[in-house]
Amino acid sequence: MRTPIAYFLVTSGLLFAIGTVGVLIRKNALLIFMSIELQLNAVNLSLIAFSRMHGSLNGQVLAFFSMVVAAAEVVVGLAIIVSVYRRTGSVSVDDVRELRG
Amino acid sequence: MTPSAFHLVWLVPALPLAGAAVNLFAGKKLGKLAGWLASALLAAALAISVAILSGMLGLAAGDRLFVQHLFDWISAGSFQVGADLRIDPLSVTMILVVTGVGTLIHVYAIGYMEHDPRFGRFFAYLNLFAFFMLMLVLAQNYLLLYLGWEGVGLCSYLLIGFWFERKSAADAAKKAFITTRIGDTAMMVGLALIVVKFGTLDFSRVLVSRGGSPGYYPQIGPVVSHGAVTAIALLLFAGAVGKSAQVPLHVWLPDAMEGPTPVSALIHAATMVTAGVYLVVRSHVLFEASGTALTVVLVIGLITAIYAATAALAQDDIKRVLAYSTTSQLGYMFVAAGMRAYAAAMFMLVAHAFYKALLFLSAGSVIHGAHEEQDMKQMGGLRSPMPLTATVMTIGAVSLAGIFPLAGFFAKDTILEIASTSGRTSVYLLGTFGALLSAVYIGRLVFLTFFGEARSEKAERANESPAVMTAPLVVLAIGAVAGGVLATGIEGRLPGFLEPVVGVFREGGAGLAKGALIAIALGVSVLGLAVTWFLYGSGKVDWLALRVRLSPLHRFLERAWYVDDAYGAWLGTPGKAAAAFAAYVLDARVIDGFVNGVGIATNALAAAGRRIQTGFVRNYALAFLVGAVGILLYVGLKI
Repeated sequence: MRTPIAYFLVTSGLLFAIGTVGVLIRKNALLIFMSIELQLNAVNLSLIAFSRMHGSLNGQVLAFFSMVVAAAEVVVGLAIIVSVYRRTGSVSVDDVRELRG
Repeated sequence: MTPSAFHLVWLVPALPLAGAAVNLFAGKKLGKLAGWLASALLAAALAISVAILSGMLGLAAGDRLFVQHLFDWISAGSFQVGADLRIDPLSVTMILVVTGVGTLIHVYAIGYMEHDPRFGRFFAYLNLFAFFMLMLVLAQNYLLLYLGWEGVGLCSYLLIGFWFERKSAADAAKKAFITTRIGDTAMMVGLALIVVKFGTLDFSRVLVSRGGSPGYYPQIGPVVSHGAVTAIALLLFAGAVGKSAQVPLHVWLPDAMEGPTPVSALIHAATMVTAGVYLVVRSHVLFEASGTALTVVLVIGLITAIYAATAALAQDDIKRVLAYSTTSQLGYMFVAAGMRAYAAAMFMLVAHAFYKALLFLSAGSVIHGAHEEQDMKQMGGLRSPMPLTATVMTIGAVSLAGIFPLAGFFAKDTILEIASTSGRTSVYLLGTFGALLSAVYIGRLVFLTFFGEARSEKAERANESPAVMTAPLVVLAIGAVAGGVLATGIEGRLPGFLEPVVGVFREGGAGLAKGALIAIALGVSVLGLAVTWFLYGSGKVDWLALRVRLSPLHRFLERAWYVDDAYGAWLGTPGKAAAAFAAYVLDARVIDGFVNGVGIATNALAAAGRRIQTGFVRNYALAFLVGAVGILLYVGLKI
């Protein structure tokens, strides 16, 4: 008996929602970053779920692809956060608002 | 066989142009040499002109036409304009006047302008003027003529305003430029009309024969309606009216006397102002084809001749008398042209160039000698400190007044004789009346300036001008006396010389006998001079008291019939009001209001928009989310 697709999708949606809320309400850049990772993995989960449902490998390939991209993004993002910290002495995104109009 | 001198014709305008270029860039370094260089170059142009004349005299009358093609100027499809110089008796007459009188005036100016800080620039302008004037008279098509026409206008502007530190001079320069521009604009429209109707501006195709010699005017040309020819002729004449200071565009010439006196003599007496006469004579084929246009020329000329002579009666500034006199004499030239007596007009032009240049330069000598005094009320008795100037100026005055056998007599008498014998009695009577006025105003000038007692301290300290100034005066005086050798009536050397271009004047047979005409003309001149002698020379009449008694009339004439004031009130004031409206209401409020309004609206929009840019990453993320959800909803609902 296969696990119904809905379970995966609900889990994925919940994870994505948690990630979104995390991005929106946290001040700490690292936590925001983690929340983004959560969102990415939520999507990965749904991709794999659909992949299995359709019996096609396309979704899995795409999931791998997004993991690789996420890893690269982590490298860049962390580097930015470190340099922001060096500049401002803080990792709070509210302290970095030079773009205010 | 073309005489070799004809091929040098391009040098005639090129030499003064070179002088202008050198003096413009190196005039300061040359110092006094600048004036001599300019004079020498123009004298060289004169020498070439004389060579051209002698070459031309060796040819048969029908062969005296030569066109030198310098280069293609405009080439657009079938419309071609070349830089072509035309040599025929008419243009040779003009270049001789321009270079001859011009050279004398250049030499004179060396003395007159010697203390001026912008000496070099003055001669650069003078030479530039000579270049444009020579282009004007040598042009073989209307566009090249127009180039010269505008160029002399520019030089006139620069030279009237040469002492631009004086506001009156700067204003006069602007007035001259703008007033003549009215005529020039009409003339440009005329040129456009010629292009439309004839398809070319070349004299050899526009001026199609109805008289004159077939060699000069082809017999076949495009068919152009009578109305179109009249319109073209009148538009060209409008340009001539502006340039030659005829009524109603005459107002700039008296004010133009703000310029240095050599300028008045060269530009505003001898050459530029006669360009209008030259234009009419050159284009007489068009004017005759119209007929109506000739009548207009005659009427305008006659009105101007009388009107300006009355205004000259009451001027106190010695140069303004001569300015109004010039306007009046130009009127006579147009009268002659309007009667188809083109040779008479040209003879008057040549004679006038001599005696009026002489009068202007003598006036300059008087002003120079009397320590910059121009008001004749403050002069008097200058005969003894400056005998040479007094002599030559009197010769010029007598010539202008029309005393036998001076050039002015023959010039004016010929025109009046033609008016009488061709049956135009009213023209003859008015012209004779004008001649009387001429004798009166010029007699008044001489008696007030040179006779009686010195009426001011400056006049008492007056002294004679240097030889560099008086020598040209003597040469011009010889011309003013002996100009009669060119013509002594309808027949004569100059009319014979010009015959291939302008044809022969044939109307005649009516009117008074020649002897009676001469007697009347002489009688009128003598009467005029006698009246002025009685009023101003005899000492029996207190003319200052007389002036007070006749003050309304005197003021009326002095203000030249209030024409200037009327223009000021009816055209100047509304024009200024319109300009003020345009500047302070239309431009400052409406145009600027619109432009500023766009700016203010953009600013306000930006002020509202910048609120969105909080700088909080969270806000941006939320906006992403809302946007993404919105797009998903939209797409989802569509499916």
